[in-house]
Amino acid sequence: MFSRSHTRRPRKYAFAALVVAASVGLVLSSCAAPSSDAPVAEELSWSEIEQQAQGKTVSLWMYGGDEQGNTYVDNVLTPAAAAAGVTLRRVPVESTTDAVNRILSERQAGVTDGEVDLVWVNGANFGTGQQAGAWLCNWTQHLPNMEYTDPEDPLLSSDFGTPVNNCEAPWHKAQFTLVYNSAAIADPPRTLDEVFDWAEANPGRFTYPAPPDFTGSVFVREALVNQSGGVDKVPAQFDQDTYDSLAPAVFDRLNALAPSLWRGGTTYPQSSSELDDLYAGGQVDMTMTYGPATLPQLVADGTYPPETRILTLDEGTVGNASFLAIPSTSGESAAAQVVANIALSPEQQLAKSEPDVWGQFTVLDTSRLTPEVRAQFEALPASPVLPPYEELSANAHPELAAGWVTPLDEGWRRSVLAGQ
Amino acid sequence: MTATRPAGRLLLVVWFVLPLIPIALWAVSNQWSFPAVLPQEWGVDGVRSAVAAGGTEAFMRSTGLALTVAAIATPLGAFAARALARGDVHFPGVVAAILFAPLALPPFAVALGLNVVILRARIPSTLAVIVLLSVAAIPYTTYLMRVAVGAYDSRYEEEARMLGASKSMVLWQIRIPLLAPALSGSALLAFLVGWSDYVITLLVGGGRLVTVPILVASFAAGTGNDAVVAALSIAAIVPPLVLIALLSRLGRRTAR
Repeated sequence: MFSRSHTRRPRKYAFAALVVAASVGLVLSSCAAPSSDAPVAEELSWSEIEQQAQGKTVSLWMYGGDEQGNTYVDNVLTPAAAAAGVTLRRVPVESTTDAVNRILSERQAGVTDGEVDLVWVNGANFGTGQQAGAWLCNWTQHLPNMEYTDPEDPLLSSDFGTPVNNCEAPWHKAQFTLVYNSAAIADPPRTLDEVFDWAEANPGRFTYPAPPDFTGSVFVREALVNQSGGVDKVPAQFDQDTYDSLAPAVFDRLNALAPSLWRGGTTYPQSSSELDDLYAGGQVDMTMTYGPATLPQLVADGTYPPETRILTLDEGTVGNASFLAIPSTSGESAAAQVVANIALSPEQQLAKSEPDVWGQFTVLDTSRLTPEVRAQFEALPASPVLPPYEELSANAHPELAAGWVTPLDEGWRRSVLAGQ
Repeated sequence: MTATRPAGRLLLVVWFVLPLIPIALWAVSNQWSFPAVLPQEWGVDGVRSAVAAGGTEAFMRSTGLALTVAAIATPLGAFAARALARGDVHFPGVVAAILFAPLALPPFAVALGLNVVILRARIPSTLAVIVLLSVAAIPYTTYLMRVAVGAYDSRYEEEARMLGASKSMVLWQIRIPLLAPALSGSALLAFLVGWSDYVITLLVGGGRLVTVPILVASFAAGTGNDAVVAALSIAAIVPPLVLIALLSRLGRRTAR
């Protein structure tokens, strides 16, 4: 085992193996990169798709940091999929980027029976994937349950400025919301300007996550809309000249605000969950989230103070929808379409809207539902913490194009973070 | 020196145990919000959530993966160390550099770069994870064994051979027992490499192997999951501790 005569031979083999491995690697990696054309789903009738889906397994990759979401998928969606003959397997990830990375590797390797069949996705991850042809397209228009959605709904036709183009099926709606502790703030601000004024009047009680954190990045975009004089003043698509004329004012405002922030603005929470922890620990009086659905649960389990309330702004905040997308590398696209369709059904959307299930806002247009189902949606219990979607999304504006995100994040880092 | 020993040990124990106390408390608390010093409500919600999220299966997978990595990387590290120590290889410096290269490469870069090659070559994903993690563990096992092999006294072997022991007898009765402490140490390190990896297991494994670190990372990314993260983390500390206890007993017994 360890003797001299035995180590000689393996060494030659090892060297030969190394050479072979290296050359195989070279040959394999020198293949051409895949095209970025979006692969299109086969034209099949819905009954054929349901037939194909029978007995298949779908791996749904989704962010696993939301326990209510995990439980909903495991206990409500999975049994419904099983009833349609599809096994749903949830793969929890730290961030959706992990799923996109896996898909891009598979796509580069020309895999057609990949390990990711469905992804909970929106925004930058959808846009990044679109550029690389990572998503299967031209399938959502065939889903029977799409008839309950409003084709004119801007949140469903464009995802952070990237046209949806039938490449992802809507799942639920979200609204960027500021959250405050009403025990600490008796007379809450009503506009973003007032929020800034309040923060300056109460040093150390407010901060926001540092971009490129998703939530911190949204906050900076809201500040951009606010400083530019409203959503009509900022074109949805990015261009450098507009950026150069609008961005400095935002960074000046945020720089002026910095000394009044938590720890004098010398440091920022690195992620939205760090800000949430500061809020939960009473170190600041406001937090912010793109997923207000989780708030009632966070108050119920004592993570957040009982007096936690939502701060609705007169000028409205940014809203978006999140989606289920099928990777172009999936070999189970038929079964994945069946799952996406079930997830869009009135029954599932209603169940998911229940505050003690997940509390996510429906993407369906309730005026298109049967009166009975509509009544059930209207009868959803109101939470003292979370107002209904209509109230939450009053004056809502759609997301700016993903092209804005990186320049603003970078500009913030150079002008605000480095300007201390 | 001898007087400071117990004090130093105590300090070390405190140093390592102290951070675990809040985690242990979180694992058995249903509600613990600021500014309470102790949980307001004790309970096993965290454990329940961990089990509901597939914690038990993840635990089995993690254990299997880590044991496999240890079983591969330990003997390979021992072979490599021996070859390097005895001068059996040409350009030992280059070979050592190659062996230690995985330490310098971030696992994320390895996972992303090699993944395409692995997928093109149609290597089964679980096998690829085991191979990559074993390669990541080899620097540790090689280094540990290199020190032990360097200090190894081969005269015991010569003595035994002179007395008529066969090669396999020498291996099993002399060499392995003498190297046992180092072997068990490197097995532990290799186990930990397999036990704690997130990025290779997920990206190369393609989500087939949902291990404890994947569950922990995905829960830790959210808010209000302290209890479940703590329960999973406590569970994740147990196998390495058990292994250390077993190996240290084994090491003591054979070293006599």
